Amino acid sequence: MASFNLQIITPDKIFFDGQAERLIVRTTEGDMGILAKHENFVGALPSGAVKIMTDGNYKVAAISSGVVKVSENKTTIIAEAIEWADEIDIDWANRSADEAREKINAAESNKEIAYAELKLQRALNRISVHTSNKK
Amino acid sequence: MASANMKDIKRRIKSVKSTMQITKAMELVASSKLRKARDKADSAKLFFDALYDTMWEITDENDTFKSIYFSGRQVKTVMFVVIAGDRGLAGGYNANVLKLAQQKIDQTAKEYEVVVIPIGKKAVEYFTKRGYKVVAKYENIAENIRMNSAKEIGSKIMAAFKNGNTDRVELIYTDYVSPLVQLAKHKSIIPLEKPEEKVAKKLHTSYEPAPEALFELIMPQYIAGVLYGSIADSFASEQAARRIAMENASDNATEMIDELSLLYNRARQSTITQEITEIVGGANVQE
Repeated sequence: MASFNLQIITPDKIFFDGQAERLIVRTTEGDMGILAKHENFVGALPSGAVKIMTDGNYKVAAISSGVVKVSENKTTIIAEAIEWADEIDIDWANRSADEAREKINAAESNKEIAYAELKLQRALNRISVHTSNKK
Repeated sequence: MASANMKDIKRRIKSVKSTMQITKAMELVASSKLRKARDKADSAKLFFDALYDTMWEITDENDTFKSIYFSGRQVKTVMFVVIAGDRGLAGGYNANVLKLAQQKIDQTAKEYEVVVIPIGKKAVEYFTKRGYKVVAKYENIAENIRMNSAKEIGSKIMAAFKNGNTDRVELIYTDYVSPLVQLAKHKSIIPLEKPEEKVAKKLHTSYEPAPEALFELIMPQYIAGVLYGSIADSFASEQAARRIAMENASDNATEMIDELSLLYNRARQSTITQEITEIVGGANVQE
């Protein structure tokens, strides 16, 4: 299968740099698959799952907001944070979801609520990616 | 008398030595933190560059591209985001960046109203003490800067811009050039200025959502990216500056100890010589 160059960049490190055969992302407009020789494209990614196929196997990662860009057969994902589904610490994610829920209940200002909701969203995304990967 | 002098010198040597232990330790801590901070700043740069390129490619695609973040608004209030250290004893690091900030603010204050967001304890102290209008302040975030905190600061800036409380946003930070050179710098965040050198290469890209909406979505990340990168850069600069300052302090201490030891030995020798002279003198008298 034809492959294309994929690079995933986060503020901390280059998370992935290599050849991929297929990439499935969920943009703000809906799911999309990217194969080699995809047209030039830029899309926004909310938090969700990213599936990367290399050597015929899918690897799943949880992403929290980013941008996907295809430019002349080179694909770049610029992500705020991303981690492999099998590396997600599920206990930690559960704990942080609980913490966020507590914070939402105890919050006194809208700002606090918004902040806690974001935290909850991130935690739930991690949990859902992790559990769907297990199946 | 000589022995009193000797005691004095001994005490001073001891005090210089203990100071030197502190400066040596601080030097070591700073250089290990510097290494980590540099890695962080380097990878942040990659991230930011990718985001920056994408953003301008979007605007380059069509000539009718419009965004509120481009200039063209009447300016009344200018916001300064100033990044300094949380701690002192870093040579000229804090003084340099605050001096540049003050200079820019003085220039701006002639025409516009100025509000400040200080980041780092030293900046917070500086601006609150001088009675500037501080809209938000952040302390102790530089060392373990996370994208989340950068985003929070960014959202504050963007909210102020959107509801008209600020019409221009300027950033003052320290650029890490090399282990020996760090430069206080100034950068405009909003309005955005199109990079001149870019030759618009039409890539015929499709956008989802439409370019304008996409741009709006990327903007918070871009601003957070700028802040994250600048804070990481500034922190690396702080560590580098501290390392050099402490290295110099340790060198000075070594020199001082050498000088004092020489003095001490001289004093000791002269006491011995005097004692011998006295004994010889006394023996001569007895004969």
